[in-house]
Amino acid sequence: MLADTWHLFNKYMRITMRMPMWTLFTLIQPLIWLLIFGQLFKDFVQLGDEDYMAFMVPGILVMTVLFGSSWSGVSLLREITAGTIDKMLVSPVSRIAIVLSRVLHSSAQVIAQAFIMLFVAWILGASLNMNPVYLMLAMLIVFLLGVGFAALSNGFAIALQREEPLVMIGNLMTLPLIFFSSALVPEQFMPDWIQLISAINPISYAVDAIRAVLSTTPDLAVFGKGLLVLTVFAGASLTWAVTAFNALRD
Amino acid sequence: MTNLAIQIKGLTKIYPPDNRAVDTLDLEIKEGEIMALLGPNGAGKSTTIRAASTLCGFDEGSVVVAGFDVDTHSLEVRQAIGVVAQQTGIDYFLTGRENMVLQGHLYRMKKADINDRVAELASYFELDNSIDNLVSTYSGGMRRKLDIACALIHRPKVLFLDEPTLGLDIKNRKILWTHIDKLNKEFGLTILLTTHYLEEADNLSHQVAIINNGKVQVVDTPDALKNSIHGDSITVTFDDVGKNEQAFFHFAQQQSYIKGSTWEDNKLHLYVEDGGANVAALMAVAADNKAQITNLSLSRPTLDDVFLKYTGSSISDTREEEGDEWWKQWAGKGGNTGKWKNQWGANDSDAEEGGEDQAWKNSDWAKNSDNNENLGTQKREEAQSQQDAWPSGQQQWPDKEESHNPSGEQGSQQWDQSQQGDWQNNEWNKNKDGGEK
Repeated sequence: MLADTWHLFNKYMRITMRMPMWTLFTLIQPLIWLLIFGQLFKDFVQLGDEDYMAFMVPGILVMTVLFGSSWSGVSLLREITAGTIDKMLVSPVSRIAIVLSRVLHSSAQVIAQAFIMLFVAWILGASLNMNPVYLMLAMLIVFLLGVGFAALSNGFAIALQREEPLVMIGNLMTLPLIFFSSALVPEQFMPDWIQLISAINPISYAVDAIRAVLSTTPDLAVFGKGLLVLTVFAGASLTWAVTAFNALRD
Repeated sequence: MTNLAIQIKGLTKIYPPDNRAVDTLDLEIKEGEIMALLGPNGAGKSTTIRAASTLCGFDEGSVVVAGFDVDTHSLEVRQAIGVVAQQTGIDYFLTGRENMVLQGHLYRMKKADINDRVAELASYFELDNSIDNLVSTYSGGMRRKLDIACALIHRPKVLFLDEPTLGLDIKNRKILWTHIDKLNKEFGLTILLTTHYLEEADNLSHQVAIINNGKVQVVDTPDALKNSIHGDSITVTFDDVGKNEQAFFHFAQQQSYIKGSTWEDNKLHLYVEDGGANVAALMAVAADNKAQITNLSLSRPTLDDVFLKYTGSSISDTREEEGDEWWKQWAGKGGNTGKWKNQWGANDSDAEEGGEDQAWKNSDWAKNSDNNENLGTQKREEAQSQQDAWPSGQQQWPDKEESHNPSGEQGSQQWDQSQQGDWQNNEWNKNKDGGEK
């Protein structure tokens, strides 16, 4: 299974490397948010002595992950239509490996994107903790979130079987999930009911965890909580996606 | 005693709510044989292939491929088969070599073995020069060859080809035929293919199974199938149909070797027993009556004629429809086929099936199908036996024939073109009966 996953992962990575522009295109929207939203709300949001840019970057990272990984299902549908998945299914390859390789590929892609975003934020002068160890911890969260949402996207793709509603659901989920989280606004600024949603939103935990390690005063307890929640989230999504994929044999 | 490579018994696949794509289908393919599944769109060819290649489950029946039960030993079956689906499953953004290497890895082959095999197959399919180019630069024919090469990487014993030459031009189709034929002859590969091209079934396969409405209608060698249509076809073209030509027609009908005839404008189609020997005699009749013949051609019955006999429609009629279906499969993003079929897909195909059903019910043959219902369920030891069972199923025919032929003449009546379909059905039936007398 691991060997199967590795070979398929390799294939997807190779295809992505041949079209690097595509990876960059999905960065445009988070970049716009970072540049425009960041500038716009800089003086509007009062965070005491904290830099809003530094506050916002983890939120934008999470946004990048969501935008990037929700495409995974679309390419699965494309592969189904093209017959590529059928070709895999007639081989003895592990079924889990097919889903796993897709999800891992998507996560690898969003990690690369997250690094680019961080680099841009650093150029813009956000005061972030760039200690490599903490950076890796932040990327671990990015990875888990990517796995979770890519798996969800693949699962929805199989359940919906069409590209159009899948893209719609992806768009529909992404923005509310971000607004109902602590990505752009600190929790204490939210109305009570949004706080409630935020508390069960895995994105909040991801943002908080990334913020905790990228902060100039790292907080490993918050990070640990986020890590736990996201591991469960990624595991559950992945299980669902694999189950849905296996049920496809009718 | 040759072993069976594929043994399908009573295969039934129902798409909800009640669409029997494959209905108690029986099929046996011997090792080292090429079997062509021939049938109109929606006949159940692709579903049969998908079920036999572990791609979709089925509701009833059993399928044994290369000695393994598809249901219980799917992994062993997968290891033993190669599948080339209707859609090219190769990745356009990889090179030919990368596609093949990946395929080798998926079959858990050793690295060195994969490299050997890639070189071997690349030269076999004459892809050496382009093997390291991206597939997106390949022509349609090359892609199809690469697709087959990928399917062969792990040295399967059985190869499934679903419409292998669909959408290829004549030249590429012929090249592919040569390859497929060579694969079978040189490596003893058992091949099950589906096709719409009668020439393909005719040229390539040892056995042809004509499939309609999810059932096998007949299985035999292409030649035996063609022989089941008695006689040759002679087409006589006149410049103008005058008195002499009518006289010729009148006397020609009375010749014992003429089994039937039909007019198509100023063309006369005659169905003739032993056409080669009797064409001279027919020419003599023409000379006696001073008929002005501008063209005369003699041909053996084609599989098209056979197809018409067993399915009640000409394959050229269904081919158009298939083009539509093919387009829909690509355009309909969820995929309308097999396992990927969801509620939407099922509805689509329901509509299609319904449409075809309608046409089917209108055809004469459908009347007999009820009588033939028991044929599907009865276990067939030999493909032949089903064919033998035919005449009994056709017993409803004579009354229809009577109405067309009140004079009781030898089917020699001038039909207008709208009646031609009916006429042909009757005529073949008549020929068949005639041959059995």
